[in-house]
Order: sequence, then C-alpha cells, then structure tokens
Amino acid sequence: MTRIGNWIDDRSGWRSIWQAIFKRKIPKVNWFYALGSATLFVAINQIVTGILLTIYYVPTPDHAYDSVQFITSEAPAGWLIRGLHHWGASAMVVLVVLHMLRVIYNGSYKFPREVTWVTGVVLLLVTLGFGFTGYLLPWDQKAYWATTVGTRIAGSAPIIGDSILRIMRGGPDLSAVTLARFFGVHVWVMPAALLTFVFIHLYLVIRNGISAVPKRKEQS
Amino acid sequence: MEEDKQLSRREFTGIAIWAIGGLITIGIGLPAIAYIVGPALEGSTTDEWIRLGAASKVELGVPTLFKAKIQRKSGWIVNEEEISVYVRTDDGRTFTAMSNVCTHLGCRVRWSADRKQFFCPCHNGVFDQNGTVVSGPPPKPLNRYEVKVENDQLSIRGGQS
Repeated sequence: MTRIGNWIDDRSGWRSIWQAIFKRKIPKVNWFYALGSATLFVAINQIVTGILLTIYYVPTPDHAYDSVQFITSEAPAGWLIRGLHHWGASAMVVLVVLHMLRVIYNGSYKFPREVTWVTGVVLLLVTLGFGFTGYLLPWDQKAYWATTVGTRIAGSAPIIGDSILRIMRGGPDLSAVTLARFFGVHVWVMPAALLTFVFIHLYLVIRNGISAVPKRKEQS
Repeated sequence: MEEDKQLSRREFTGIAIWAIGGLITIGIGLPAIAYIVGPALEGSTTDEWIRLGAASKVELGVPTLFKAKIQRKSGWIVNEEEISVYVRTDDGRTFTAMSNVCTHLGCRVRWSADRKQFFCPCHNGVFDQNGTVVSGPPPKPLNRYEVKVENDQLSIRGGQS
C-alpha cells in the first residue's frame, strides 16, 4: 500500500497536496466553523443525487411531470434520491446563509480574506439560482405558478424588466422553452459556476488559513 | 510510540471520519445501483393471450404473417406496438407460431415464398419453414409462441417478440 502510494507520489506529489488540504494547521475554533464544510457536504449530495435524477427526468412539458412521478413512485429508491435532492436543496440554502452569518459575526471577511468573501457571495447567488431554476423542473402546479410569479417579479424592474422577463421565459409566457432553458441552466450553467467558485473559495481558504475566533482582550 | 496499543484522539477521529464517510457512500451507492438497474429487471413478456385472427386464414404448409397490436409500458410511457407473427400448420388443427425476430441480432425476417425459407436481410441468416437455422450466423431457431385456437380464433402467448 505505502509502496503504491510512494510510486504515485513520486510522479504526482499528491502527499503534499493531501497534507495542505487535510493536515493543515488551524486555530482552535468552535463548531460554527464547520458550516462551510457542511455546505460543501450538502453540495456534493446535490451533485450526486442530481446526476442520478437526470437518468430518468425529461425536461419537456409532456414528460417532465410523468417522469418525476415515475422516479418518485416506481424507480427503485427513486423516492430516496429525489427526497435527498429536494431536502438537500433547502438545507443548502439554510447552511449557506448560516455560514455567511458566522463569517459576518466573527469578522472573518476582513483582510486578507476579502476575495474569499466575494467568491462566497457569488456562491450564495449561485445557490439561489439553483433553487430558482430547480423549482420549476417537476412541472406541477406549484412549480408552474412559482415560476410565473418569480419571473414576473424579475419583470417588475424598471425599463429593462420586460426584457428580463422575456429572456428568462424564452418568450412572453411560460412554455416548453422556459422548462428547457431552466433545465439547461440548472444542470449545466449553475454547476459549472458552482465548481469554479467552490474551487477558488477553497483555494483561498487553504492559502490564507482560517481566521481565529476574535478575542475580547488584546493579546500581543 | 510508547503506548502503541492506545488509540490517540487524532487517530480515533481519523478512523471515525473514514467509517462514517464509508457508511454514507454505501447508503447512497447501493440505492443508486438499484435505481439505475431497476428498469432492466422488468420482464418484457406478458402472460396475457394476444389475439391474432382467424385460424382459417393460415394456408396449409405455408407460414402466414399475422400482425397484432400490444400495449407496452416503458418507464412512464405506454406505447402501442405492432408485433408480427408467422403461423404455420400442416393439418389445419395444430398450429405453430414463430416470432419474426431474427435470433442473431434482432432484425426482422421475411418469408420467401419462392425459396420456401425465412430470410434475414441484415446478415443473410436463413431459416426453414419450421424456423430451424439453415445457414448464416443465427445461433438459435426462431422463437416460438404458445398457440391456442378457440372458435377459429388464433391466440398466442409468451415467447419473445
């Protein structure tokens, strides 16, 4: 085992990478500092279950609802996969917000971690984008009307509002075009953005180290 | 390494993380396999009798083509499909029903009246009037159905279509 490890390490240097990621030194912190890792864990759950859902889901008005029903009630363990994705989505939004509150509360966004903060804000928006686009995909009444309302809210912006609404819907009304583009954004655009920014975010977390819990007294 | 029998706190946490991670992976992995494999385990044949038509239409000694509509459910879609069956009789009382699906790679065979043989256009598989392989790549004779005649009505069951 170690011989194989050495052989690969000679050619890849993975041990130093492993060291940098998992064996790095951190200050003594509390459990609230695990919220970011918890979010990452749920994100991985969303990726795995999301990929599994695409095996049966079909993003067209005549198949979307039926294929989701098939996943939920007929495919073996489909209820579990969909359930994990459904509840994971809500959990992820909650965790992302809690993570952000912890960073604000401890002042962890300050120098030298401003860029980490900015990428984190982008990741918050990406998470909300996932939630917004994913909500339409079951193509049931709740999905349809939530997206009608959601796109109408975007359309209420002054001057460019109507254009935004039409671009989001792919026309004046919700249609097959809307469902297809929401699926495309949910399954390709958002994951690409998520992976890119998670990578930068984690790189910065590791490079700068995490912030210690602020102390009341000066300790110089 | 003074007390190498004692597990340090760090080692314990390390082992615990791997163990929990492994459990989660199995917990998702096994259902995922079932989820993907599921539809493959469903049988394709039904136990219901499929009505073909009048038994008197079958000429003596000549495989006669019948077509029947069947309902087939795949995933969340129910399709009506047409199956083709060759029915043959020597005496007008006992009938054999053969699938027109070539046993080589699934192309459809055609009865050639001149040569009195079934011919598959894909890879030149040839079967005789009983569905037995004469030449070419097919590994098995044509599949047969169970046949039933009631009031001159031919019905078939089972087999692979």
